[in-house]
Amino acid sequence: MIRARRAAALLFAAPATLGLLVFFVAPLAAFAVYSFLTGSLYEVTGPLTLENYREVVGSDLNRQLARNSLVVGVLAAVASVLFALPIAYWLRYTTSRLKGLVLFLIVASFLASYLVRIYAWRTILGSEGVINSGLNALGIIDAPLTFLVFNRFAVTLALVHIYLPYVVLVLYAGLVPLKPSYLEAAQDLGAGRIERWRRVVLPLVAAPAASALLFVFVLSAGDYVTPQFLGGKNGVLLGVQVQVAFTGTGDYAAGAAISFALLAGFLVCYAVMALGLRLTGLSRVRFVS
Amino acid sequence: MTSGWERYVREEQTRRMLLRRMGLTTMALGAGPVLLGACGGDDEAAQPAATQAEGPAKVPAASGRIDYLSWEGYDVPDALKAWKTKNGIEVKTNYIANHDDIQAKIKAAGGSAGYDISTYYQGYKPLYEQLKILQPINEQKLPNLKNLAPFWAGDRANFWVDADGTRTGVPWTWTTLGLTYDSAKTSELPSYYDLLDPKFKGKVAVVDDPAGSFTLASHVLGLQPDKVKKADYAKVRELLANIIGQTTGVSASFGDMTTKLTSGDAVVCWQGWTAMNKFAADAGTKTVKTNFPKEGGFTACDCWSIPSTADNVDAAHAWINETLDPKVHAAAADNVVGGVTVNAAQPMVSKAVSQFYPVEQLEASLEKAPLYNNPPVQSDEFVTFEEMLKGWQELKAGAKA
Repeated sequence: MIRARRAAALLFAAPATLGLLVFFVAPLAAFAVYSFLTGSLYEVTGPLTLENYREVVGSDLNRQLARNSLVVGVLAAVASVLFALPIAYWLRYTTSRLKGLVLFLIVASFLASYLVRIYAWRTILGSEGVINSGLNALGIIDAPLTFLVFNRFAVTLALVHIYLPYVVLVLYAGLVPLKPSYLEAAQDLGAGRIERWRRVVLPLVAAPAASALLFVFVLSAGDYVTPQFLGGKNGVLLGVQVQVAFTGTGDYAAGAAISFALLAGFLVCYAVMALGLRLTGLSRVRFVS
Repeated sequence: MTSGWERYVREEQTRRMLLRRMGLTTMALGAGPVLLGACGGDDEAAQPAATQAEGPAKVPAASGRIDYLSWEGYDVPDALKAWKTKNGIEVKTNYIANHDDIQAKIKAAGGSAGYDISTYYQGYKPLYEQLKILQPINEQKLPNLKNLAPFWAGDRANFWVDADGTRTGVPWTWTTLGLTYDSAKTSELPSYYDLLDPKFKGKVAVVDDPAGSFTLASHVLGLQPDKVKKADYAKVRELLANIIGQTTGVSASFGDMTTKLTSGDAVVCWQGWTAMNKFAADAGTKTVKTNFPKEGGFTACDCWSIPSTADNVDAAHAWINETLDPKVHAAAADNVVGGVTVNAAQPMVSKAVSQFYPVEQLEASLEKAPLYNNPPVQSDEFVTFEEMLKGWQELKAGAKA
């Protein structure tokens, strides 16, 4: 019986496994090989070399862009989780009739085009944008505030806006099993509001929050679209170099090497996060119904 | 005194005419077929004879789907609507953000069938030849080729027909790049160096077009872009670094650069383009203008091409042929805000567009804004295309010259 079930499971998993192997693992393996070759004008040639990785680590430009990626990725991830947590908490425990509408608006924001959202921020933060025009009309400023856009701040802001709905939904899903009775029980046992958050809510949402944090960090640090429209000169991220290598200079080998260096960085972040959860015991926290 | 343009044209003209005549002579002696046969192989690009058959030209029957790869607007949806309906043609558009997307996408498609029609401007010819992403265009399938203005059909501006007679492009629109500015915020700038005025700090826009920027900077410095000695590269980089230093960052596309102008985030654009006047006017800002400073600018003539990936070659030929019809050509010129290569179309072009590109002043215009080649693909003496691209990426990220 168990053997039959196992066979059925393998059979059902086979198409997905095959798809992953063909469309994910094989291209990844091909690009892993590319990263050790020499690239020039859309061609890669042998012999095997570590030169691309030397360039990734040794180039001042790449190091600068990696720093930008790290800063923007961390800021966007932390800000997204910090903003999303109260929203998710409110959504989970509110009895307001607005709950359905707010959830709908969060889901609906996915439907807005990525580029439209980026340009919306240009309209808000630009020299003649909503903020500058408003402050000017109120007589608070004479000249536009130029630090609002075309820098890391603007990129981070747009990325938080783009990824916030995902994080809210992830945290909301994480809070669903946490019934109000848990919090009532904690209150009955003498826990105040902060104590309830610290000892009941946070340990239970730590794992989904960590997942959301990593999710936003990886996507933000590797983004190459938002920086082009909002980043200016100091908001260019390493993802842009990957794009340039594949579509501009046609240096597939360099692009592959930067991609794998980024992937290695992300894996290190994942390992650190997992280790942190394990050391604090948060990885073992489970809902018991 | 001989101007740079004259020198360049003369040099190019002499070289091309010589090569062409050598090719023709070789073929006239009957050696052509032998040589071609000796070269052998299945490479269609190596069989120029296919492009020059005898007899009157006849447009092939067009049908099916055309995969289009080029700028938005160059697919001239309105001007070609009747032709597409008549032939039951379906066009799948693949728009590019900058010129380098063309070779990147064709190379990414590899050997598989894909894009049927594309464009490139004259400077890209050597690179595309090296990358082998063009296939020959059969002139016998283009009866409207006879409409091409003598200048664009002749040897003087011939970037599209090889010495052996192989055609890999049909010039169809040209444009001159200079400075585009918001006249409500600044007066016309007489020189590119005015962009470096501190009052324009953070108010200059530059588009992410490495070849275009390099060409313009070289021209402003009095250098020929395809022959910038490696020792002179520092001068070009310095000028570009200073210009980029005046921006808030490089714009992703000409559309994005226009948005910066219309939203007040920029006042003047390096490598401005007359089409931006139209883009801005369409967006409600009618004060955007383009001028050509005393140093001139450069001209880009886009040609139709059939990529190596094409699997609907007949329809691609029919498309090219249709755009050389004067009426369609004029409508297309209006649509892309560009100059015509079919003189008979000029009277039908709107004044708003033709004022920028009067055919009778073409030669005078090219005197100030020449047609250039891009940096060479390989060279020990001159800055190469690849060096130029890599240098641009560094400057774009804020690196110093």
